Amino acid sequence: MISTLFLTLIGADNGQHASVAGPALVEGAGSSSRTLLLLLAIFAPLVTGLITLFYPRKGITLRVLTALAGPVIAFLLLLNHFNVNGVQPLDAGSGPVAEISWMPLLHLNLAFLTDGLGLFFALLVSGVGALIVLYARGYFGKNEDDLYRFYPTLGFFTTAMIGVVLSDYMLLTLLFWELTSISSFLLIGWDRYDKHAVKLAMQAFVTTGMGGMGLFGGILLFGMTTNVWTWSEFINFGTWWQAEYASLAFNNPVFWAFLLMFFGAATKSAQFPWQYWLPGAMAAPTPVSAFLHSATMVKAGVFLTGRLLPVFGGAMVAADGLRAGLEIWPWLVTIIGGFTMVLGALISINQHDLKRIFAYTTVSQLGLLMCMYGLGSFAYEHNGHLLQNIDFDITQIANHAFYKAPLFILAGALGHVLSRNITELNGAIKKHPAMCITIILAGYGLAAGPGTISFQAKELFLYAIYHLKYTAVGNWWMLLMAAAIVTATCNVAIFIRLTTTLIGLPGGFKADPNAIEADHHHHEHEHGFWASMIWVPGAILVSFQYIGGFVPSLWMRVFGDLEVYNNNYFAEGIPTFWGAIIHGIHEFSVPLMCSGIAIVCGIVLGFSPIFRGTIKDVCDKIYPGIYWLAVTGGGKAFRLIQTGNMRHYTVMVLIAFLSVFYFVSLGDSKMFDLAVSQLGSFNEFWPGVFLGVIICTTALSLPLVSHRIIRILLLGSCGFTVVAMYLVYQAPDLALTQLTFEIISVVLFVLVIRLLPRDVPKYRPNPIWRIALGTMAGLAFGWMTLVAVGADPANKLGMWFTMNSYEGFVRDVYNAGRGGGGKNIVNVILVDFRGFDTLGEITVLSLAALGVWSLLPSRRSRKTS
Amino acid sequence: MTVVLAVCVAVTFGVSIYMMLGRELMGLAIGVFLIGHAANLSILAMSGSPVIQHDKAYQTAEFKIPPVLESDQQAKDWSEAQLIKAEHPEQDVVNPLDEMVDPLPQALILTAIVIGFAVMGFLLTLIVLTQRRAKTLDVNELAKMDLPTPSQAH
Repeated sequence: MISTLFLTLIGADNGQHASVAGPALVEGAGSSSRTLLLLLAIFAPLVTGLITLFYPRKGITLRVLTALAGPVIAFLLLLNHFNVNGVQPLDAGSGPVAEISWMPLLHLNLAFLTDGLGLFFALLVSGVGALIVLYARGYFGKNEDDLYRFYPTLGFFTTAMIGVVLSDYMLLTLLFWELTSISSFLLIGWDRYDKHAVKLAMQAFVTTGMGGMGLFGGILLFGMTTNVWTWSEFINFGTWWQAEYASLAFNNPVFWAFLLMFFGAATKSAQFPWQYWLPGAMAAPTPVSAFLHSATMVKAGVFLTGRLLPVFGGAMVAADGLRAGLEIWPWLVTIIGGFTMVLGALISINQHDLKRIFAYTTVSQLGLLMCMYGLGSFAYEHNGHLLQNIDFDITQIANHAFYKAPLFILAGALGHVLSRNITELNGAIKKHPAMCITIILAGYGLAAGPGTISFQAKELFLYAIYHLKYTAVGNWWMLLMAAAIVTATCNVAIFIRLTTTLIGLPGGFKADPNAIEADHHHHEHEHGFWASMIWVPGAILVSFQYIGGFVPSLWMRVFGDLEVYNNNYFAEGIPTFWGAIIHGIHEFSVPLMCSGIAIVCGIVLGFSPIFRGTIKDVCDKIYPGIYWLAVTGGGKAFRLIQTGNMRHYTVMVLIAFLSVFYFVSLGDSKMFDLAVSQLGSFNEFWPGVFLGVIICTTALSLPLVSHRIIRILLLGSCGFTVVAMYLVYQAPDLALTQLTFEIISVVLFVLVIRLLPRDVPKYRPNPIWRIALGTMAGLAFGWMTLVAVGADPANKLGMWFTMNSYEGFVRDVYNAGRGGGGKNIVNVILVDFRGFDTLGEITVLSLAALGVWSLLPSRRSRKTS
Repeated sequence: MTVVLAVCVAVTFGVSIYMMLGRELMGLAIGVFLIGHAANLSILAMSGSPVIQHDKAYQTAEFKIPPVLESDQQAKDWSEAQLIKAEHPEQDVVNPLDEMVDPLPQALILTAIVIGFAVMGFLLTLIVLTQRRAKTLDVNELAKMDLPTPSQAH
């Protein structure tokens, strides 16, 4: 249904399409409606998903149709945008088109970039999203609770993903990027009571979330260095930046920004060594696996790499004048991508669970796509032209979605009716012919057999590897080619085994009679239209494979305008597969030969008895290891620091403070000079000196006596001498307050001692380190006091208070002639100028009083307890 | 006077740290009480010496006035002097803080005294409760007690 709609729309708009070949962006009045329409397209899936929450639980069909409306509306709006405005040209404008201000200060506004890459992904997400809505109805059956929760979450994801690919502001992309991580977390941990699934959901979330933080850091670093905050400016950034930032230097912020951004892309797209989260994410229901973890979300990293390619990869052909990107790009991206590709393929063939097989082939394919963008930054010469080593990247991305999503859809369907374990599926075609034929057709796409668009896509990739021969890489291209052959061999072998098993031919897996039947997902079987939805969406998607394979001109009509990288080598578009084969044989082409080798090897491997067990990926241990380190190791470290002993805390704080203080002060001669200048102006009032001597004597004798009453009397006398010192310093208010509180405190201490038992303290020798720490701290604070007094500015703030406490005389902007209206300046400061401070002080006092009152049990309550 | 105050701050601070590092909780309470005095005195030192410079030795000291206005005319005179100085910077006018002690540190100390007292009362209550529950005030013994650690509490 959807595909016919799609085709009719494309067909109907052909004429109009041709007329907007050039840059036909509508400027002016229409342009803000452009942003609004794109916003509507982005948020339609979320809104319809939320609407379904209000339906009665029994209304399943209504629920499905409403949830379907969201992605369909988004799809149609985007298609309309594509037909009316065409693809936004990358080399034209130098800024975002039609932005709506949101947070301009933070460089975060609503503006959308509808270049080929973004538009393609948005169409893919909304189109596949609509099919997944239907598939979920078939998969969950009439399970109301699941469907009730599923559609809003799915809508949330669809919105977030379309947002990622269309946002023009980098920070807006990041925002949606993190939302996809959150929705992925929600969907992997779908079964809330399955602790293992929740753990895997955490693993995926932490891994991709860390990558998101890396992307955030990269965007901030890049933006603050270059003041470029949008992708449209970013892509046009290349002409002047090279001189400043292109070097591979460690003090080059753009280099680090790229590394951080690529970290985000690599975690999201499950590149080595972060590929472990993707197979773990298979704990999600199959509609989620088919949508998020094969077709769309995991490609966000590939998408981001594609966005970065024109500048960091240095690849945008403008009349043979190639830009130079970062020197690290080709090596980093190609090697990580290529390694992930082989690793994923080798693990995938050693799996039995259909979903795990396809998860590892997804990892492999994501590595291939990364590798493709890595190769894209090389240039080679052909017929006197310098060409960029990348062709039809969107076709290469699209072909994966069109076989991998069906494979997952059908894996879920087979798991539903029979089993997801390939060893138990021998001869399944007799019971479920439609499903098995569809999965075999999709598997043929996985094997990149001639007749599917995957074949041409793989040829394009192999050509790109072969062209490395003409670049600085030289003969090392063979290494990468060998990796690609191994990958293709594994994919072909998987297809062979899948087919032979399902049909029941020799060479397929036989059921192991000793195997314990895994618990699968059983419902009462439905029949009719909705039940068939468990495989029909897969068939619709897989049909694109064969359209592309047999009628590449039709494929080009759909995807051709979205392609950016299209060398004149392939000026007439993607050739048909027989054309490619005939041409290849005629020219004795190496890539075609490699394809042939891979297919032969794959068939042999498929029938051979080796690699039939299951293995585990070593990288699966990474996250549990880090988790163990954080929780158990962190707990050990925590217990080491948090001893529960009061003295240890005090010592730690003091040592930290004192070491910083002495480290800073001893290296600063000014700290000495200021203190010494105070010592020089020794102008004393002798009774004051006498008071000081009493304070010091009483304080020093405190540790020497052990009798508690004498201690308190000494403490009291010290306090009363401080009161006298306040009087010398002309502070009557302080003296009065301190006197009152000193009396109450002494009484309180005596009361508390009466409540405590008569405990004779044992004699303990005074350890020297207590004296040392005390002396150091005392010296530090005495020194700081001297320095602080010496550093006093000539014009103190206190002067302002003296002049303005009664009436404001100096009329300035801060003070419209208003004063405090009191003659006691300290009082005026407390209740007027710093009134809120005093309010806080009163609050503290009341809270302390409340605490004391509630903690000390009264006589009455003690009786009851 | 600043030097005397600085010495007092150093001694009280050192002693209070010494007391706080002891094993007994009552010693800790005394240390906290004393450290409040030390902090207040150190803030007080910021207001500068209250003694006006006097040349002749052994003369009765002349003090600045406490921060209470004698009349509103006094403040008015000071302000007008400052306004004159703003127009003619070279003119030497009387600075209010030459005649009166700085009121701001006193206001800050007043707040600190009250809050210090509140903390003191709360601390003493906690000490009484600790004695009742744990039957000891020795810090080392309290740390060894089998109380729930944060990781077990979850």
